[in-house]
Amino acid sequence: MHLFPAIDLRDGKCVRLHQGDYAQETVYGDDPVAQAVAFAEQGAGWIHVVDLDAARTGVPENRHVVAAIAAAVDVPVQVGGGVRGREAALALFDAGVERVVIGTAALRDPDFVRELAVDHRVAVGLDAKAGEVATDGWLIGSGRRVLDVARSFADAGVDAFVVTDISRDGTLEGPDLGGLRDITNATPVEVIASGGVGTLDDLRALRALEMDGRRLAGAITGKAIYEGRFTVAEGVSVLEGRS
Amino acid sequence: MTEPVIAILDYGIGNLHSAHKGFAHVGANAVLTRDPRVIADADGVVLPGVGAFGPCLQALRAVGLDEIAHERIEAGVPFFGICVGMQVLFAASDESPGVDGLGVFAEHIVRLPDTVKRPQMQWNTIDQTAADHPMFAGLADDAWMYFVHGFAAEQGPHVVATCTYGDELVAAVGRDNVWACQFHPEKSGQNGLRILQNFVDAAREAS
Repeated sequence: MHLFPAIDLRDGKCVRLHQGDYAQETVYGDDPVAQAVAFAEQGAGWIHVVDLDAARTGVPENRHVVAAIAAAVDVPVQVGGGVRGREAALALFDAGVERVVIGTAALRDPDFVRELAVDHRVAVGLDAKAGEVATDGWLIGSGRRVLDVARSFADAGVDAFVVTDISRDGTLEGPDLGGLRDITNATPVEVIASGGVGTLDDLRALRALEMDGRRLAGAITGKAIYEGRFTVAEGVSVLEGRS
Repeated sequence: MTEPVIAILDYGIGNLHSAHKGFAHVGANAVLTRDPRVIADADGVVLPGVGAFGPCLQALRAVGLDEIAHERIEAGVPFFGICVGMQVLFAASDESPGVDGLGVFAEHIVRLPDTVKRPQMQWNTIDQTAADHPMFAGLADDAWMYFVHGFAAEQGPHVVATCTYGDELVAAVGRDNVWACQFHPEKSGQNGLRILQNFVDAAREAS
């Protein structure tokens, strides 16, 4: 199971939001590229990047930073936030991104995801609040149930679902184990958990989740690392079952 | 001591930034090039590759790099094929019937078994099958590497590492000055960088 340290970009800086609220922002650094390199050097198998500006507006404000991160690290990079069409996705792949995470556009235009997934690496972002999928930087509720959306992409050829519980994101209160179990059971697609991880015990609980012999593919962590609750190296060690 | 010059063959396929960055990081003077004079003067040659077997060979031949690759290999210069850049060193591939590979290795490239999800896109451990191949100097016997591939080489006499994915798949081959790996060392973190470092060391020693 992989640790995906998260780099959330806003105005070229590395930030975290509390429960997705753009007004509750903490800036953690001016150099996201150095941050990504440090995560990779500590043994992270992937780097997870979110362009928060693009998530809200659909405009790829931080693309040059994404490209610099992808060029600088020696592990694969996945990027989400504002990937709303084929052109935007291809621009990210050209920038050296390994996998794109598509949220809002996956709901509005599922065929775009299916067509892209034929020969590109795609994850679908399922960002939910109380079981309802949210879009547009989590500002808008879609009225659709997360399990229904997951099932609709079961055969789309995507790599994974990135499942975020918005009410827990940035809170360090622990992941929604029951919700992750339900989504994993709903389809054969791999699930990456995001939101709420605050301690190494939270990571241990994610690793211990087993559903008919299947486990989660990975865990995205942001705030817990930035606030020093644990290091990337410690998180990797837990998720690999070494501690 | 000057840095060894590593020529990364640039024949118009895909994104070579991470390979270039990786070799630069481990102390090489890495250059992206298709210039025969630059390649002839290099201490080591890297053949990257992404996409499919046929289009890669077509692109190589279009710029004459197939002959230059053969010539450098025969001259004994350290040569490293990565991913599809490994596969094109073989005789042929199920992926592109009728397209001749470079034939440096006699085996064929075959589709991954039907029992597994294709392509393999994941981190996987390798199993070193040849004692002390210099590609793996300083690495654990079961180091993790990052794979993205739907086809792999048949077993043969030059296999130096395998991985398990459905079957035991060929992860790397080596013969004299030619090294090649199916996984992406430039995406495999510290383990992958060590392999790039080992290649740069080999190039330094050979120069």
